Amino acid sequence: MTPPRIFLDHAAGSPTPPEIVELMSDLQRAGIGNPNGGHTEARRARAILDDARASLAEDFGVEPRQITFTATASEALALGLNSAVSPNGSLVTTAGEHRGSRALAARHASSGGSVELLDLDRLGVMQVASLRADLSGAVGLFALASGEVGTIQPWTTFATAWRSSGGGALVVDAVQAAYHRPLDVRTIGASHLAVGSAKIGGPFGIAALISAPETKVRPLVVGGGQERGRRGGTEAVVLAAGFAAAYRAHRLRAEQTRQHLVALTNVFDDALGSLTSLGLVPTGAPFTSETRLAGHRSYAVDWALGDDLVAALDHAGIAVSTGSACISGSREPSEALRAMGHTAGESRGGLRLTFGRTSTIEEARHAASIMRVVLERVRTAVPA
Amino acid sequence: MTLTVTPLGGLPIGWQAAPEANSPERVLVALSGGVDSSVAAALLVEAGHEVVGVWMRLHSAADQRDGHRKSCCTLDAADDARRVADHLGIPFHIQNLEQEFADAVLEPFLAAYQSGETPSPCVGCNTAVKFGALVGKGSALFGCDAVATGHYARRAISDDGRSWRLRAAVDTEKDQTYFLHGLDSAAIARARFPLGGLTKPEVREIARTRGLVTAEKPESQEICFVPDGDYRSLLRERGAVRGEGEVVDESGAVVGTHTGSEGFTVGQRRGLPGSGVSARYVSSVDPVTNRITIAPRSALDVRNIALVDAATPEGPIASGRQVQGLARIRHRGALAQGTVTGIGDGAATLALNDPLWAPSPGQTVVLYDGETLVAGARIARPQLARPQQSA
Repeated sequence: MTPPRIFLDHAAGSPTPPEIVELMSDLQRAGIGNPNGGHTEARRARAILDDARASLAEDFGVEPRQITFTATASEALALGLNSAVSPNGSLVTTAGEHRGSRALAARHASSGGSVELLDLDRLGVMQVASLRADLSGAVGLFALASGEVGTIQPWTTFATAWRSSGGGALVVDAVQAAYHRPLDVRTIGASHLAVGSAKIGGPFGIAALISAPETKVRPLVVGGGQERGRRGGTEAVVLAAGFAAAYRAHRLRAEQTRQHLVALTNVFDDALGSLTSLGLVPTGAPFTSETRLAGHRSYAVDWALGDDLVAALDHAGIAVSTGSACISGSREPSEALRAMGHTAGESRGGLRLTFGRTSTIEEARHAASIMRVVLERVRTAVPA
Repeated sequence: MTLTVTPLGGLPIGWQAAPEANSPERVLVALSGGVDSSVAAALLVEAGHEVVGVWMRLHSAADQRDGHRKSCCTLDAADDARRVADHLGIPFHIQNLEQEFADAVLEPFLAAYQSGETPSPCVGCNTAVKFGALVGKGSALFGCDAVATGHYARRAISDDGRSWRLRAAVDTEKDQTYFLHGLDSAAIARARFPLGGLTKPEVREIARTRGLVTAEKPESQEICFVPDGDYRSLLRERGAVRGEGEVVDESGAVVGTHTGSEGFTVGQRRGLPGSGVSARYVSSVDPVTNRITIAPRSALDVRNIALVDAATPEGPIASGRQVQGLARIRHRGALAQGTVTGIGDGAATLALNDPLWAPSPGQTVVLYDGETLVAGARIARPQLARPQQSA
């Protein structure tokens, strides 16, 4: 008999609410297709795409023309960075960024640009004090919150310091932060900001780049001039509609969801008990603080590989993550954990649990008891 | 070349065939992405076991995609393993054993070449990684009692049920007990070899009838961490090549030069002068002088072989202890009756009734009693092979 699964990897993609699935399948069934054409059918598709863009614009506090649809948030970040930084320009980022951003920075460096890493403290907070006095011309690539260790950055303080040092365009990864609280993009001060659909309960395969007004977007794919010439290729109309509807639904119950997530993690923490006795080291911002993403728990161990714990927990019925998406089975330590001062052993032993709107209190309690058993078994069986 | 494999006898007195498993159990199956391990997994599933599929990431060569689909250790192989697991409806995990592989296989492999030996990396991988570290992980992470592979081997159990031995596979052409000799009784007890009673054509047929994507995959013959077979480039990366050196005959006279003694193994003819009756073969490799000695074929017939790491499934062969059986010094090679005598610290001598040709230091020796493998060892390094040092 297979035990029921407990899904605790919502940061990697949250289940799509049934009403959004219904909406998308209705549109698909209705034959919604290519919005680029001179006929009624194309105009019908175009209207749905326009509505989706308008809905997201309203929710993010921007104008529809500021939104460029992309396939993924990684693509949106690549598009934003491509628009903001010149090939030999100066880029400032951190070791705590998502792997997609780290790869963009690495490519920028290898193609002749300069890349500086801003220090992180033990909690994963960007160190404003380590900003250079003169940042003129520098472009920043930063996440509002870390998907890996759950730390929410002190963004307002940081952005103020960035600007007062003369820092240039900010390309912002808002993928994880968008689930935590509704975003008012105007107050963030980003030149380009990336949000994904799947993380907030929308479909996979759609994301958006939100650019500041009058900011030029330099396309990576020229295609047929779609998305105002910013991203070639036929738009994914049905996915865009699902994205917009999912974000609207999420925004309307964001506070309620956040409170639910806090309740879930409180129950989970209590049921799990002493981290020290389980050999777990908490990573990132303090668990109960305002600077941690709601529903997010992250740990490190130095007595097993994170991938091994993920596999063992999976086998016991719980879907979790190491927090740092890596090449399958790689032993490379997490750059973020290393930069935060964790040991090499701990940096290979990251573990992340992320609860979501659909998680239940019973699941939180049950997951904690399974986790206790599995961790104790692995810890006693695997030599350090 | 047709290889004639002498059939081994049946089960010795006091031993019986071990069934693969009596009752359903939780088994970890090491999926390589090849046809053999795929079928092993399929058979376990069909027999009602709870099967967990694992692909081992052993080294960074795994990051390469292989166009030619030969190695078990590339991302393409992992993809095939995953597809097989999905097809069979079993869980699939990638397990990182890079550190264990480096310690038990890769470093000894390089060290062996550097000391003039010809290593047998599959032995170390089977002993320390597949039936060593992987067994531990399978138990710790998934609660698996046993580890299954696609090896062609069987198991035998003593009449009192306390001891285990490897038993040659039904398909004598495919039998892999030679490479599995490092498994001790406890490891054999936890090993499962679902293919031991099948022939390779039967295994392919099972794969086809089950619709496994790996059914027509070619055999992997190469050393998995040397994808293009060029182990010398690996040695070069480590700065472990010795460069040009002398080729001498049995009298010590220099008869030519070679491009690096690490590229030669005892019994090798390729790259040496002579042909037909005048053909010469490598008879020894000296890593210190970087000199290789050549000799006529008949000079490589050997009746006494010095051994290290000599063990039975019950443990190291103690000083003075004797084990008799049919000896084999290469995979699928000829068999000769012989006696292994322990001389302490795992060292031993093998005395053969009939000579075997060209034992190569670093390679494996196994001894069979009937179909069961009763001892295994490594052929000693050249300096240890000198009689005056074995006293």
